[in-house]
Amino acid sequence: MKRVLCLMLALILIALSGCAGGPKEEAGVKTVTIWHDKEDKVIEVLQNALKGLENEVKVVFEKKTGLTESLKLVGNDANAAPDMYFFAHDKIGVYAEMGILTPITDILGENALDGYVNLASSGAEYKGKIYQMPLYFETLLFMYNKKYMKEEDIPKSTEQLYEYMVRKTKYGHYGFVEQHSTPYYAAGWIHGFGASLISADGQPLLDTENVKKAVSYHKKFVSYMPGETEYAMVNTLFTSGMAHATIAGPWFVPTVRAAGIDVGIAPMPVVDETGLALAPYSGIQGLHVIKARYNKNADAIKTVLKALQSPEIMIALSKASGCAPAMEVCYENAEVKSDELIMAMRTTAENAYPMPNIPEMDVMWTVAGNLLTDVNMSGIDVETAAENAQKKAEQLIEAMK
Amino acid sequence: MKKILCALLALMMLFAVSALSEDEERIVLYASVPEDWAYPCVWAWNEEGVNAFAAWPGEMMEPDPNNAGWYYIYLPAGMEMAIVNANDGTVQTDAVAIDKKSAWITVNADKTATASFDKLTEGDAPEYTERFTVYAKVDASWENPGVWAWEDPSGKSAFAPWPGRQMKANENGWYSAMVPAWCNCVIINANGGAVQTADIKDLDPADLWITVNADATFDVTYDDPTAPKAADIAVYATVPEDWAEPCLWAWSHPDGTNAFVSWPGEAFEKGEDGVYKIVVPGWINSVIVNANGGTVQTTDLRVEAGKDLYIMVISAEEATVAYEAVN
Repeated sequence: MKRVLCLMLALILIALSGCAGGPKEEAGVKTVTIWHDKEDKVIEVLQNALKGLENEVKVVFEKKTGLTESLKLVGNDANAAPDMYFFAHDKIGVYAEMGILTPITDILGENALDGYVNLASSGAEYKGKIYQMPLYFETLLFMYNKKYMKEEDIPKSTEQLYEYMVRKTKYGHYGFVEQHSTPYYAAGWIHGFGASLISADGQPLLDTENVKKAVSYHKKFVSYMPGETEYAMVNTLFTSGMAHATIAGPWFVPTVRAAGIDVGIAPMPVVDETGLALAPYSGIQGLHVIKARYNKNADAIKTVLKALQSPEIMIALSKASGCAPAMEVCYENAEVKSDELIMAMRTTAENAYPMPNIPEMDVMWTVAGNLLTDVNMSGIDVETAAENAQKKAEQLIEAMK
Repeated sequence: MKKILCALLALMMLFAVSALSEDEERIVLYASVPEDWAYPCVWAWNEEGVNAFAAWPGEMMEPDPNNAGWYYIYLPAGMEMAIVNANDGTVQTDAVAIDKKSAWITVNADKTATASFDKLTEGDAPEYTERFTVYAKVDASWENPGVWAWEDPSGKSAFAPWPGRQMKANENGWYSAMVPAWCNCVIINANGGAVQTADIKDLDPADLWITVNADATFDVTYDDPTAPKAADIAVYATVPEDWAEPCLWAWSHPDGTNAFVSWPGEAFEKGEDGVYKIVVPGWINSVIVNANGGTVQTTDLRVEAGKDLYIMVISAEEATVAYEAVN
């Protein structure tokens, strides 16, 4: 009878061990889990690059809907959190303040980001510490339909763009369209006036003179665009040949080409008054390490990071994602140099601003959006709208404390 | 000596082929047609059955100004077969093999056709150029409308001499003519050029529709006014008891065209069965049901255009849409 009981207990133990959460680890092989929100072809590049580690580390990529919210819930739980996540840099501040990230420099050394494009390394930093190993970045681009906008018409300055819009916006066609009342897009105009939505230390700047100047100036362009310019509408106008030019991300290019549009990419126009180019936000995509997991799985995480910190992989990723590689040396590659899209992003990156990664930015998207809507669509004067928006932003940020 | 002659002949033939503007992307097809074949068009396809053009009768041929009686058109390379047709596709040849090569098709009065791969015209084919279509609807007093098209500022014209290219009358009351894409200005004229619009300048190389009034004033749009418009649809709705005087806000996504001028839209009418009803244009594909002066509302509801809607609003957060009455 005892033997039967022992046998049953043994069977139960075996069954329980099989049911335990997480991937099974083969003898001597560590597992590293990476959450992400990327397309399959991007992840395939990483999987191929990591094949050489198979005997040492098994890397599991998990596509996670609601990744950022999930991390807020489980980021401190070593049993539930991933070892790393692959995402844009703009949540770094939130997670660093929560204490769930390990600085990359603690793992790869103080010079971990030597040789990176400035934009990428600066986006990875929060309060003097580097929390991301960048892989590639994206910036918004000035795109135009070559059928309509001739070489000599490509605007070098915003006034040239305005003249073009005045001349060509008629009979149902638009000279230029953009999501004029969405902060992510309008930020380029604000930066073009040397202004920002928020300071580095989290103070909203919506009622500063330069923000007000930018919003006022931008409004004259808005009057030559459709009233509502949500994402889908702007894209449809451009892909259906009803708009000559737009500002959009590199992810839009395959759709445009599939629609049969001969699309050109040009540098952002320069604001005549300031001499500064429209400077959009950019997103830096890379790997972030979860502290709770690093404490348990340091060697394997370090091995994976070191394996992926390679110009060749970044070039392959940029091809798969349509974005620009994060390391300077990649731009010496002939294939990269001949890619119009990547090089346009590299050029735009000279002026682009990494999306602010401070926690206070979370409230700015909505408040700045309301400011733009008030001015561009509701006819509220800039002074009043800016004052209201500033107060609202201050209230919301105060409430975060 | 014979070998040298042969080599010279081969070189001359190579030169002749290149002079046809045939390239890796396209071939040129010529046709001469009977006198009563107006506005000849070509329909062509390749060995996989892929058509060169979107819809029958294909694309209109251009008269070759240097070869009276001959029309030409550029086709994508790889086309195997072609049909020449005219008079809005009401007369046509049988399918003619062109074997991916430039060809000269002679159409006889009995609609039979023969293809020649030897050049039957003088000189080179006019250079390939993309074209767009100018449509015009003119006042009844404007007879035989034509289009005059040119490039500004060079002044280079597409259809000299004045009054330019006569436009083809279409069944829907619109006239049409194709214009080279390098033209950015047009004039619509009629009565042999005796009446005309002012210069319509700085145009995009895209299909456009021009409505011309008797006094030569005109309206222009790149939006096809002849595109089928969806018929009106009925929207039925049931709402919670505390939703007073419900209204519908409706629009077309993603272009943002609203069915009503201002929020909260237009009021439903209450039927005897307690179900609210309103009739709206069939092109809308997004709606919001709201009430109490627009202070309470559903979220955006994306719907199929052109279908009657049956909306059951349970709360501001919850609503269902059906396309048939739910009992």
